[in-house]
Amino acid sequence: MANRNDAHARDAQQKSPSATRRNFLQGLAGAGAAISFSSKIANAQQGEIGYWAKDLTDAQLTNMFSTILRIRWYERTLVDKMLTDSNYRGYNHFYVGQEAVATGVCAALKNTGGVMEADLIYSTHRPSGHAIAKGTDIKKMAAEYDFRATGLNKGYAGEMHISDKSIGFMGADGMIGPGPVIATGSAFAIRARGSKQVVVNFGGDGTYATPHFHSALNNAALLKLPFIYVIENNLYHQYAHYSWSCPMKDIAEAAAPYGIPGVIVDGQDVMQVYNVAKTAVDRARAGQGPTLIEAKTYRYYNHWGAPGAKPGELGAFGYDPLAISSFRPEREVRDWMTRDPVDICRNTLIGWKVIDAAKAAAMEAAIKQEVLDAVAWADKQPFCKPEDGLKNVFVEGSVLPRQFG
Amino acid sequence: MARKSFMYSVLEAVQYEMREDKNMIWIFELTPPVASNPGRPVINLETEFGRLRVVNTGIDENWMAGCVLGAGLAGSKAATYIPYQGACMPFQMIQNHAGKLRSMTGGDASMPVVFIMEMTGQTAGFAGQHSDYEIDTYYAHIAGVKTVIPSTPADAKGMMASAIRDPNPVVFLYAAGLRELVEEVPDEQYLTPLDKAAVRTTGSDITIVSSGAGMPEVLDAAEKLQKAGMKVEAIDLRSLKPIDTETLVKSVQKTKRLLTFDQSYYTLCPGAEVIARVAENVSGAKFKRIAFPDAPPPAAPEMFNWMRPNADHIVAAAKKFVA
Repeated sequence: MANRNDAHARDAQQKSPSATRRNFLQGLAGAGAAISFSSKIANAQQGEIGYWAKDLTDAQLTNMFSTILRIRWYERTLVDKMLTDSNYRGYNHFYVGQEAVATGVCAALKNTGGVMEADLIYSTHRPSGHAIAKGTDIKKMAAEYDFRATGLNKGYAGEMHISDKSIGFMGADGMIGPGPVIATGSAFAIRARGSKQVVVNFGGDGTYATPHFHSALNNAALLKLPFIYVIENNLYHQYAHYSWSCPMKDIAEAAAPYGIPGVIVDGQDVMQVYNVAKTAVDRARAGQGPTLIEAKTYRYYNHWGAPGAKPGELGAFGYDPLAISSFRPEREVRDWMTRDPVDICRNTLIGWKVIDAAKAAAMEAAIKQEVLDAVAWADKQPFCKPEDGLKNVFVEGSVLPRQFG
Repeated sequence: MARKSFMYSVLEAVQYEMREDKNMIWIFELTPPVASNPGRPVINLETEFGRLRVVNTGIDENWMAGCVLGAGLAGSKAATYIPYQGACMPFQMIQNHAGKLRSMTGGDASMPVVFIMEMTGQTAGFAGQHSDYEIDTYYAHIAGVKTVIPSTPADAKGMMASAIRDPNPVVFLYAAGLRELVEEVPDEQYLTPLDKAAVRTTGSDITIVSSGAGMPEVLDAAEKLQKAGMKVEAIDLRSLKPIDTETLVKSVQKTKRLLTFDQSYYTLCPGAEVIARVAENVSGAKFKRIAFPDAPPPAAPEMFNWMRPNADHIVAAAKKFVA
């Protein structure tokens, strides 16, 4: 038990030759990443070291930085709103700290064309990052988070159930378990119709303990489905440390019995996430079957809402009355914040001379304004009509009111 | 005797039984078996009984329910507290296994187990998966499992004690909306029957029947109606399986008007069963149901709060009914 608490200890990582080379490349480029995670199951790269970020254009790299910033400021703006605006009604689960995972994975996907053409992603109860990285309109998202009639899902979803079929964002899910199984069903349909799409399921460390985890990987491996399971191991499921529900230090080890690649990646470094995602996507698209990716990451806020946070400050360090099982030590939060995904991406791009510090600052200011404008737009949107609650039960018509007797 | 909260009352009963029976186990996720109450010692089952008997699991309600069932079959008393986001995940364990094993073993199986199933507080904004209240209908339908739904802290304590001592599997529906309720609850252990409804107010004009989180709305409405001169008999079902048909029939024979109130979906809501049983036994009575429409609860408070049955709906329906 004792050494399970250091599951993310950085000095304990064994580096593979390819990881060392990646570090060397990054060192040359002056990138911010200090560490790299290796996988027990090495991918045969056939002379390729798998550093696919080398092939990205400046525009693609700049877009990745924009996406990370957009997630960061969308959420920070909503944290402040929850803390200071008593009229705000959203119930949000913040993703801040994990931005590089959604951004790196979705950068390796096709994000246009609807469910018959786009790559599909299944999200969690912490969906903002996935939705934004896939390309969802943040104005409509912000309106949905505050239950407005013109929101992304017309006020029926709220944060925990947002979806945007048009770009292959299959939706957030408030439950732990069924999501990945459903995602393999989409992958099965894609394989059956030969449409060359891939399906990514995002899930937290808590999903490992569900029977659905086995069901999804077993069937995906048996049927060689174009399916990628991205575990975002942020150490805590709800209020419990993952060592309470997983007997292994690295959840990626769970791939071995299915005979599929299990890859561990530094979830704070968007380039490394992109590299492993690209390898998995290429493999899935080529009909070679699923991959399990475990991104080691961290959330800067508590499970739900903004308890312990202060307006204008990044992160929550204070007391969360709901965290009875496991408290996140303030030093653990601050430790992870020293390897911030925004800083790492910014430093990498500056080191690669894709942008300079002034351009990075200008991008951040513009995105901050874009988010403020989106949230201001959302604030002005109309509320839902009560009787519309009887609609959208079936494709046709509406059901009867029964609450009046 | 002291004023105690709903959770404190439940855990007081469990603590007593776990002290009496050193084999009894408790499985939880998210909701630790911890409660405090002014002037009373803090109850913490995890620290008092240790992690051999009390375990915080992963998010795996299927295992939670299976674990206590297996413990029961092996001869130990067992209980699990399943929070509302997972309240239907273990359905198969309860419906197809716990519910059928006594019959399939020719009466041999031992199942002194309690599945505490949390029902949502019907909070506007939580949306679809975290705000509907439908599980009373699902679990009450299972043969071979007793399904109870206390609406007061005192009943919760007495019914929890009875549920643990009952040799049958019991689904103990815990309405999260009642968490804040506080009332005088005896300190000593006592048993409240698992098959008797409670008549909360007596009257001869109309019978209003509900359960669980519906009861505070009914009592609120009954008070308003009584002030307006209507004599209301308010009945708290307390048990959905078995249903106390006798108490219901006796009341409606007197009032000839039965209004049921549920936060569950309209179709097959507990009130539908109540009306059917009374209709079989009372002639010349009139019936009316209030329930949540057959629609998943939407996120927006404007829609959800309009759809959620409340005390005003009861008052209006009762006035129309009796007029």
